[in-house]
Amino acid sequence: MASSTQLLLASSTLISQGAEAKVYKGRLHPPSSHASNTDEFVLLKHRFNKQYRHPTLDTSLTKARVAGEARAIVKCQRAGVNVPSVRMVDASEGVLGLQWIDGKSIRFLLGGGAEGEEEVEETSEDETIDDQPEDDPLSEYNISKDDIMRKIGSEIAKMHKADIIHGDLTTSNMMLYHPRTGRTELVLIDFGLAYTSTLVEDKAVDLYVLERAFSSTHPASEMLFASVLKSYEQTMGKEWKSIGRRLDDVRLRGRKRSMVG
Amino acid sequence: MQSFTYSHFPEHLSTVHVALFSNVSNTAQLKQRLVSAATMPGPEGEQERAAVNFAFIDARLICSFLHLQTAIYQAILADVQGALRTRTVHSEVLWALSPSTNITDAIRRYGISETTTSLILVRIGSPNDTTVEKQMTDVVHGSISSLDLLQDIADWSLIRKYHKIPAPAPKDQHGEETLKKTRELVVSLVACKGVLA
Repeated sequence: MASSTQLLLASSTLISQGAEAKVYKGRLHPPSSHASNTDEFVLLKHRFNKQYRHPTLDTSLTKARVAGEARAIVKCQRAGVNVPSVRMVDASEGVLGLQWIDGKSIRFLLGGGAEGEEEVEETSEDETIDDQPEDDPLSEYNISKDDIMRKIGSEIAKMHKADIIHGDLTTSNMMLYHPRTGRTELVLIDFGLAYTSTLVEDKAVDLYVLERAFSSTHPASEMLFASVLKSYEQTMGKEWKSIGRRLDDVRLRGRKRSMVG
Repeated sequence: MQSFTYSHFPEHLSTVHVALFSNVSNTAQLKQRLVSAATMPGPEGEQERAAVNFAFIDARLICSFLHLQTAIYQAILADVQGALRTRTVHSEVLWALSPSTNITDAIRRYGISETTTSLILVRIGSPNDTTVEKQMTDVVHGSISSLDLLQDIADWSLIRKYHKIPAPAPKDQHGEETLKKTRELVVSLVACKGVLA
């Protein structure tokens, strides 16, 4: 018999699938006469069963990962980082319900294509991605590229100050969100690889991964990333010195620490 | 009173009835009644327990309708999966609201107390029960109010204290941005309750 959460998924729309999870858009609570819930949609991230793993191991890994992701989000929220809020957790089914962010990824807004290469299931209606300056997607957000970069830097710094390492910082994992009221906000998403660490090394590698993501998806983006780092530095304060120095080391040797010798 | 039905939950747990009572005058007796109903033996006991078969929640500690809905959702989910940590789905709602894993703590803080004047009643049951509003007004002496008032009743200092959220700087204490963020954080905390700590 299908479980309640499976029925919920069945009533939702699949929007994307990766190797680890499927992502759905759905409604958690029935639409009611009560109008105070304006953002009724939720994003449901289902870590489906992996046939290639032993079932017992699969269940415990899935549970631990859902819990880990939820914890990282709560920790970020406590630190004041803009992240989607958690709406529902069903660890035994491997489903995490998150606040629906009605916005666009930074990757798309910077003209790097709509979706990441990992999301193959994309319905290809807008296949031709030619940057036409006349319909600049940024215009509706009323914000300059440089302001976005500054926001990216400060959000990452807030997160690192709380000793959370995102683990997969890319421009696809950041969204620009324009609430009906209030100012445009930058939201960090996908904490599936996040973990806690106080190490300078981990924070530097986090930044390095983002730098590589910038240079590979957005040509001629050195200036953009420089302004991310600048605002990161401002928000980080004293801690920046050692992270900056370490970032230079990481750039020379790459993400992995050499294990030779 | 407001009712809504979750179509993906089994029928006997699918429908939620919620009402907010303000100016409640009989909280002390009500609390007494709940305590005695719990231990009353025999068929009268059954009857008495059915009469007060609600979750009684202090409205001061609820900061949005979504906050309440999230706790209700997680409680039903636990019941459906046979994973209740407390005895009934109604006490599970209180437990889901409370940041601690201690059941007594949850009921003492989030349940009814002598100082409660605004009270939320929640019944989780089947969609066929049509007399719930009558059953509610039979038990509580107070006036049914719109659930939109929840945001005004919320006691932010108490909510922050229980969830260990530091108070914001005085200048943006009542800023809508700050309150919105805190509301979202509280919803997250309730949703993640089962996997935190």
